[in-house]
Amino acid sequence: MLSLIQVLTSGIAIGCVYGLVALSFVLIYKATETVSFMQGELLMVGAFAAVALNTGAGWPLWLAAPAAVAGLAVLGAVLERVVLRRAIGQPHLVAVLLTFGLGLMLRGGVTSVPAASHDIYRLPFADSVLQFGALALSLSHVLVIVATVALAGVLVIFFRYTRAGLALRACSENARVAALMGVPVASMHTLAWALGAALAAIAGLLLAPITFVHLNMGLIALKAFPAAVLGGLTSLPGALLGGVFLGVVESLAGLVLPEGAKDVVPYVLLMLALLLFPDGMAAGWRRRR
Amino acid sequence: MLRPLLLIAAILALAVGVLGADYAFGQATLVATYAIAGLGLVIIVGQAGQITLGQGALVALGAYTETLLAMRGVPPVLSVPAAMALGAAGGALASLPARRLGGLYFAMSTLAFALIVEEMLVRWTALTRGGAGLSVPTMTWGGLRVDAPLEQMVVSLAALLLAWLACRRLLAGRSGRAWRAVREDEIAAAEACGIDVAATKLRAFAIGGGLAGLGGALYTHWIGFISPEQFGLMFSFELLMLVFIGGARHLSGALWGALVVVSLPQVIALLRDVLPGQWSRSAGLETVLFGAVIVAVVLLRPQGLAAEARAGQTQVRKGNRD
Repeated sequence: MLSLIQVLTSGIAIGCVYGLVALSFVLIYKATETVSFMQGELLMVGAFAAVALNTGAGWPLWLAAPAAVAGLAVLGAVLERVVLRRAIGQPHLVAVLLTFGLGLMLRGGVTSVPAASHDIYRLPFADSVLQFGALALSLSHVLVIVATVALAGVLVIFFRYTRAGLALRACSENARVAALMGVPVASMHTLAWALGAALAAIAGLLLAPITFVHLNMGLIALKAFPAAVLGGLTSLPGALLGGVFLGVVESLAGLVLPEGAKDVVPYVLLMLALLLFPDGMAAGWRRRR
Repeated sequence: MLRPLLLIAAILALAVGVLGADYAFGQATLVATYAIAGLGLVIIVGQAGQITLGQGALVALGAYTETLLAMRGVPPVLSVPAAMALGAAGGALASLPARRLGGLYFAMSTLAFALIVEEMLVRWTALTRGGAGLSVPTMTWGGLRVDAPLEQMVVSLAALLLAWLACRRLLAGRSGRAWRAVREDEIAAAEACGIDVAATKLRAFAIGGGLAGLGGALYTHWIGFISPEQFGLMFSFELLMLVFIGGARHLSGALWGALVVVSLPQVIALLRDVLPGQWSRSAGLETVLFGAVIVAVVLLRPQGLAAEARAGQTQVRKGNRD
């Protein structure tokens, strides 16, 4: 029983990271109709930025982490203004190739820094263990879950009660009507990319204590696609919940299934979900068209 | 058909002159093989207007099928069709979950399928030897051995020609019309005319997968060694870029795209030498340049190279959205 709780906690923690990346993907997709294949790279760059500021420049972590997130938000906004804007209104393939190419450039850029490609790093988060009687939980896992819940709360407030959040939602629902109502749609696209990049960076920071910071940490974003699909592809809370669900299923599969089978579970789930519940899952999307 | 053939002959003659015969034949072989896989993408992306991110895995299915059969002495007349059949089955299976949804869902289901296949090739070590890879025997049939670069080129070009003619027939007939109708407007143009939209999409993916399998079956012999990581996500994107550069709407796009994609690493290697000292040695440079090429191509020519000539008659902004 205790070990089950521990497995579940670690599953929920990694699921939170999947969910956050899926959230960033869906946010961008809804607001700009752009399919982003660079969320994994943004995640990796965000984590490396925090490491560089922390160990390289000697900033304390409480300053380095927000600075890295802010930096990535700026990067996302700049990329939108300069490049990604051109993909709006084009077929999906254009955005897929464009973001994949930008992702390669980001990845190659980080690889060119010798210190980044040779070592793996840790952020100096607490790696101690929380003891509740006989139950031992990794502090980093608990921290990830708490941070995700807090972030979800902030996002709810942002999307429900702030002017920018409401405008962004309006723009995602129907850009044309939103424009007629005086929403600056172009700025909303920039905002969506800034938020999407920042969320990916936060996911990277939260992943750092679990898997360390290294060049291939962005591969985790591939698991965000099943999470987004399970959540219905257009629902922000759905994406987050889909991620948590996926993390839990994956960790349970690790207990039950033979070695290695765990890694394909998300993709099998994705295909089954599309096959068995196409209408249910696509309902939101269909309605919008 | 005549003009591209003449152009190919001209490019080949030039390449033989500049690069030396064997090297040029080797490159031409690769271009032809990539182009075969590219034809499949022209059908899926350009004709049916769908998106796929798992074509690399279908090439891998073809390559592994061909290799495993050839290792057991099965002649190519049997093993190549088997590779194509497996590729087609894979394409159909990958697209099956999304066939009624379309759009981005195809990207998701084909991506998931590709990742499952890749993991399977790594884990099923009894059959594939996992990451250690397999070395591939020479293509032989009776007393014939396809060994020298010239022979390999002839075989690939012949296969490309056959595949091309088959595709041309398909595009001119009922299938092609159905695909284009689905691409332009699923509800009004296609369904109203009695076209089974889901079946039409599935057929595009199956045929695209069969061509990927054929490309893989040839590729494996020319390369001589295969391992799962050659056919990863990067390869799928390389193939997507191939049809994008060439122009997805026309069969000739596969050939031009293949030419660019095969020569790109060489161009990047040249660029590397030109760049000053410290930069050229960094490990990430090739990745950056490759990414930059993709971005530049997409920004400068969102309709592909082959589209230029017919820009007037294609609708530019109304592409393959759904």
